[in-house]
Amino acid sequence: MGQDILEITINSVKLILIFLMMVQAVPILVWLERRGSAFIQNRFGPNRVGPLGLVQLLADAVKFLTKEDFAPDKAVRSLFYAAPVFALIPATLAYAAIPMSTPISIAAFEAFGSTWGPYLFRVQGYEIGVGIVFILGVSSLAAYTILMAGWGSGSKFSLLGALRASAQVISYELALGLSIVGVIMMYGTFNLSEMIQAQQGPFQFSAFGYTIASTVDWIPNWGIFYQPIGFILFFAAAFAESNRLPFDLAEGEAELVAGFHTEYGGFKMLMFFIGEYGHMMIAAGLATTFFFGGYGIPGITAQELQQVIVGWGYADQTANILNAVLHFLMYNVKFAIFLWIFIHVRWTLPRFRYDQLMDLGWKTMLPWALANTILTAIVIYVVAA
Amino acid sequence: MTADAFLFWFLALITIGGASLVILMKNPIYSALALVFTMCGIAALFVTLDAFFVAGVQIIVYAGAVMVLFVMVLMLFDLKHEVEAFSKGRITGAIKLATAGLLAGLVMGAIFYSSTAVDTVITKQLAAASGDPSKQLGMRLFTQHIFAFEALGILLLVVAVGAVALARSKGGTHHDQR
Repeated sequence: MGQDILEITINSVKLILIFLMMVQAVPILVWLERRGSAFIQNRFGPNRVGPLGLVQLLADAVKFLTKEDFAPDKAVRSLFYAAPVFALIPATLAYAAIPMSTPISIAAFEAFGSTWGPYLFRVQGYEIGVGIVFILGVSSLAAYTILMAGWGSGSKFSLLGALRASAQVISYELALGLSIVGVIMMYGTFNLSEMIQAQQGPFQFSAFGYTIASTVDWIPNWGIFYQPIGFILFFAAAFAESNRLPFDLAEGEAELVAGFHTEYGGFKMLMFFIGEYGHMMIAAGLATTFFFGGYGIPGITAQELQQVIVGWGYADQTANILNAVLHFLMYNVKFAIFLWIFIHVRWTLPRFRYDQLMDLGWKTMLPWALANTILTAIVIYVVAA
Repeated sequence: MTADAFLFWFLALITIGGASLVILMKNPIYSALALVFTMCGIAALFVTLDAFFVAGVQIIVYAGAVMVLFVMVLMLFDLKHEVEAFSKGRITGAIKLATAGLLAGLVMGAIFYSSTAVDTVITKQLAAASGDPSKQLGMRLFTQHIFAFEALGILLLVVAVGAVALARSKGGTHHDQR
């Protein structure tokens, strides 16, 4: 956690802040989703409460909090109440491992009669050497919350919905995991920060001893140019992983009422909701990190931007923090674009049938992901030799 | 007690507690969920040993995939017979006790043996190891142990094909369209 009390405190506060960021983004996304769907379907959406209907979120929160808290008669109460709480954990743990900006370095300073620092604070919950393995592992635990909810509700609809959802999640996990093996091989690391480092600067790579570079500065060295198939597979599998349309078979209303959360209402339902949006955010964050340069700004590397800001007349320390803020904004722009794509797709595509879903996962995406992995391995072996 | 020692004992308690719940619970579903808990505890113990990759794989493979299938299958069963089989029968009870005793003896023996025999080997390997541990793991797996690795891969393939063949002969989801 850190060497002294200040570092430990800041690192702990950081964890809480990232969790709050995630939870606070949910109402905004819900608003965006409702207004966006209305926009797509030629309606108005919630526009009565407050400016642009933004205060509707507050009203919704009050409604969720004050609803009656009940459990079905046949429910297994321990599992029934534990499931919504556990729904938040995987999403939160995984999201905290995604780097959101350049590290902030603080030089040593004197205060309260002793010397503090120097410190290096990363703009992420914690840095893990095998970042991507950790994120995949933790988010794969989400299947249990679904199963616990389905079994604990003591209802046939819930159980069937839970079985469907968990079968879907573990099927697509395979395609998801394989689709990013190409990325991992290309960068030769599991570490997300190192991947982002490798994507800084203009488009350039070396093959057969030659260096191939773009003539213009603004084409970035992003993963999407090297792994387009990987990106498509990853993004499609991410929709299935977060149980979003067109893959939201878990809650096919026509067949299962509402799937695994049929018996849930009020705040417990809201927690499942936050969990689902959390998975969406992880997918958006990972897509940004793997294929779109993470927090990197196209056309300028982090070091160059630091020099530019120092050139504006700021001290090194301030420039470093400003640099981190700018990169953080850039990360959020990319992140928001992906979240909007998630929402747009939901209101554009119809739902798959269940056998179509399984066929797509096992017979189409898995072979393509394997082919992409093998192709990448061969290209790396031949080109880098 | 240092933080590391506290962490170890805390995680060990969680892991062993989860493992004992697996055999103490009467309902197989709770046993399976307790086993998931144990897996996560073991993964955390791997993290305290700086074996991050193994910890991640432990969670992805065991907790994330294998146990989900277990829990799903258990939920589909009518569990009344299984609950009875878990709790009744004098002869089976004796066999269970004997097996548990045998296993406990084996584990204790292994612990006592390893505490004396393994020390020297560990220090030697630690001295040799340097650099990215997951890269080293890959190097060792695909050079030194390539035969065992491939053999395991073939074994798993055979198991998968066999499972599909068995499931199909009893009618799967995809019937022949003829």
